[in-house]
Amino acid sequence: MSLAIHIVLLIALPLLLSCVIRKTKALMQGRPGPPLFQPIFDLVKRFRKGETVSSTASWIFRANPLVGLSIALVVAMVVPWTGAEPLARGSGTADLILIVYLLAMARFFSLLAALDTGSAFGGLGASREAALAVLIEPSILVSLSAVALASGTMDLSVALQSPVRGTVALLSGSAFLLAALAELSRMPVDDPTTHLELTMIHEATILENSGRNLALIETTVALRTAVFFGVGVQILLGKALRSPDNAIVSAASSAAAILMLGCLLGVLEGIAVKLNWRRVPSFVAFSTALAVMSAFVAAVGA
Amino acid sequence: MTMQFHAPEAAITAILVWGAACPIGLLRPPGAARVAALLSIAACGLCLTAAFLPGGIVAVRPPIGLAGVAIGFRVDSLSRWFLGLIGVVGLAASIYSPGYLKHLRGRARPGFVWSGLTLLFASMAGVATAQNAIVFFAFWEMMAISSFLLVATEHERQSVRRAAFIYLGATRIGSAFLMAGFLWAHASTGSWNFHDWILRGSDASGPAALILVGLLVKAGSWPFHLWLPIAHPAAPSPVSAVMSGVMIKTAIYAVFRLLVMGGVEAPWIGWTLVAAGAISAFWGVLFALLQHDMKRLLAYHSVENIGLILLAAGVSLVARQASLTAVSDLALAAGLFHTLNHGVFKALLFLCAGTVDANAHTVELDRLGGLIQRMPWTAATFFVGSAAICALPPLNGFASEWLLYRGLFQLGASGPSGEIRLVGLLLLGWVGLVGALALACFAKAFGISFVGQPRSKEASHAKEGEPAMVGASVFLAVLCAALGLGAPLVWDAMHGLGFVRTPQAWTLPILPLTLVGALSMALIWLGMRQLARGRPTRTYITWDCGFGALTPRAQYTATSFAQPIVRLFGALYRYEMEVVVEGHGRRHFPTEIRAESSHEAYLESKVYSPALGTVIKLSEGLIMRLQAGSIHQYLLFMVLTLGLLLWLGGVL
Repeated sequence: MSLAIHIVLLIALPLLLSCVIRKTKALMQGRPGPPLFQPIFDLVKRFRKGETVSSTASWIFRANPLVGLSIALVVAMVVPWTGAEPLARGSGTADLILIVYLLAMARFFSLLAALDTGSAFGGLGASREAALAVLIEPSILVSLSAVALASGTMDLSVALQSPVRGTVALLSGSAFLLAALAELSRMPVDDPTTHLELTMIHEATILENSGRNLALIETTVALRTAVFFGVGVQILLGKALRSPDNAIVSAASSAAAILMLGCLLGVLEGIAVKLNWRRVPSFVAFSTALAVMSAFVAAVGA
Repeated sequence: MTMQFHAPEAAITAILVWGAACPIGLLRPPGAARVAALLSIAACGLCLTAAFLPGGIVAVRPPIGLAGVAIGFRVDSLSRWFLGLIGVVGLAASIYSPGYLKHLRGRARPGFVWSGLTLLFASMAGVATAQNAIVFFAFWEMMAISSFLLVATEHERQSVRRAAFIYLGATRIGSAFLMAGFLWAHASTGSWNFHDWILRGSDASGPAALILVGLLVKAGSWPFHLWLPIAHPAAPSPVSAVMSGVMIKTAIYAVFRLLVMGGVEAPWIGWTLVAAGAISAFWGVLFALLQHDMKRLLAYHSVENIGLILLAAGVSLVARQASLTAVSDLALAAGLFHTLNHGVFKALLFLCAGTVDANAHTVELDRLGGLIQRMPWTAATFFVGSAAICALPPLNGFASEWLLYRGLFQLGASGPSGEIRLVGLLLLGWVGLVGALALACFAKAFGISFVGQPRSKEASHAKEGEPAMVGASVFLAVLCAALGLGAPLVWDAMHGLGFVRTPQAWTLPILPLTLVGALSMALIWLGMRQLARGRPTRTYITWDCGFGALTPRAQYTATSFAQPIVRLFGALYRYEMEVVVEGHGRRHFPTEIRAESSHEAYLESKVYSPALGTVIKLSEGLIMRLQAGSIHQYLLFMVLTLGLLLWLGGVL
């Protein structure tokens, strides 16, 4: 039962989330914006189009979207980001180090695929994305393990569903979500709608992807956004959202919280200014500092 | 008494075979090098076999010399672990070398390399099996000399000569510390046998400190790492593979033998190893990012990985002192497993770099590019090696780093005091930082040299390496995958060998997860193929903004790729970028644009250079006075020394 809910949310929520974010953002910018489900229509259209591949590209470029999507699917299946119980709880599959390194593998492919076409933009995007990862990786690892410390296991399927002290949850949840903004290439670190190549980060790495290839990458991004938001929500509000006897209620309230977070992001993207690339490190430093504080509280127990 | 053939006998036979191959390499006839190669392969096989045989002791007491000390070999689980590493990497290097040495024709005689290489193998196996300090030290010095000769293979190049002398100097300093430590330990315990060296508390501090410094110099740990990125790239590639993959691990072996699993227990060693390891790991990967020479980059990564291994060893000691046996076992297993894994993937990467060098005639990243089209096998194996060194699942690097992470996490969860728990968590984040830097560095190494457009004529005319060279790389790449996917079996083997004494299960379902991932990839691929029906894929040029064909010069270079990260940590070094624009209408029609970057670590420019300068100045002045060329004076020195020694002998 719980697994079925998880799978339903896994299919529905990512797409819905990207619709909500885009609509809120449009409203914040004072325009009606396209219909709510436009992102889904776009995706369907892209899946049905032909694609153009650079003649310089090798198998890495072709493999990148496949690797990215399947890693995102595996991660989404094993991590309890929907509040419902995912696949194989407590089997060690949702190991937090494994999850982080699976995402690193997806990043490795996307960096190489960006360089693969021999375009200067690809190099620019890859170089910046690699630097961003260096900044956020410690924060993500420390904040997640501070949460996991209470249960004494690195298995997120257990750790995210066991009680955590309020201070730790608040600190590491905020650290995680701030890092997630950078990891997911959202404002104020990167502007997903930019069309000026020189300011792009994520968009520059996928500049050469088109048609089906691009659609796969966009699906991956939507899925990853939902998973990261879901994990953030579980850390921050897990205690309040869980109802032990009713799986549907806890999943529904988690889904609502994720969508709310999407609205918040839309508002943020409407009012925030994209940071100068050189000032990104000081933005991520907030996340790292919060993560270290959460580790302090979790370990020393102040 | 029946003669049994156990691990020590196998190891000694391997040492003897290598020892026989060594002079054969020096012979004139053209077939001599081939014979040496075959003997070396056979000995590597024997060495590998020894890793799977039961251990034991073989000792011969020579009638003269050595003051009653036996030439003893003692093989236990730890020795067997390292014999396995020597065997595997030695085998790959021996298969690879004949093809590579052809490319060195005219610059070095293959026979010399073979005799150096076999001597190096023999001495490493000797170090890993020596029963007592005397035998250990003899092999240790043989190892230093043979590797010095190998670094100096292409001694006609000035840079190589310089590298060889720096390396020689480093080995002398390391050996001096090590010898002093050994003598002290002998004075305290009255024995040369490692087994009898049981020192606790303040008795242990003196010898442990000296031994530790000596070993850290050899291992290339921060702050004694300076020689490593100079010496390793100067050697021929298979030699670099052996040096980075195995030789520096002999120091790790001794760290485990004496300080971590042995009887020399000073209370501060654990935290010292943690600090040295944590700094080395970060330092190595950061400076690797600054490099644009593939072999130098790989050499700096050895500093990083040695750091991770030392960190694991330190955590193991710290946890043991806090009587957290389970955590201690985890960290110990992480360190040993990573030692093996690093040997395999680093050797693989160096062999690939050698293949690139032999076929594209350069390892300068900014002159490569697009090799994946021309050298598909080398590219694929280098890709596997890069993924393994970045600890990407499901390869072997991930398995051992995961153990390290798990150890750190458990230290954070169950440490005896808040401080230790916090340090555990922060170290976990630190290793994550190192991991992200390594990923960036190998995205650079692979992305600049193997994909994109070729940046030079050499790169665009490169051809795939010889079958034996590619075969050796494929062998190591397969091993990377096997050790990763079979990590639960390795974990069980570590229980069997006694490295892990607490019953702990391997909790990561690495193989099923890999299969699920592969299956989902296959399904997505099939779905995409269905969608592609009737909508053909068009192959076209990379988007050039409508300005006409892109040139390879438009691509990012290694330097520009690393620049954002390099700028982040600018406090540790002086980084300069010099851009020169020439020509009349300089702004719009430059005739030439040159950009050059240079960097200099403050550790080198502010600490080592002045210190070295002082030593040279002092010794110059001193030598001028001492070696004045007068026989009388020299005779006086001799008499004085003799008198001093006699006096010392009387006093002590």
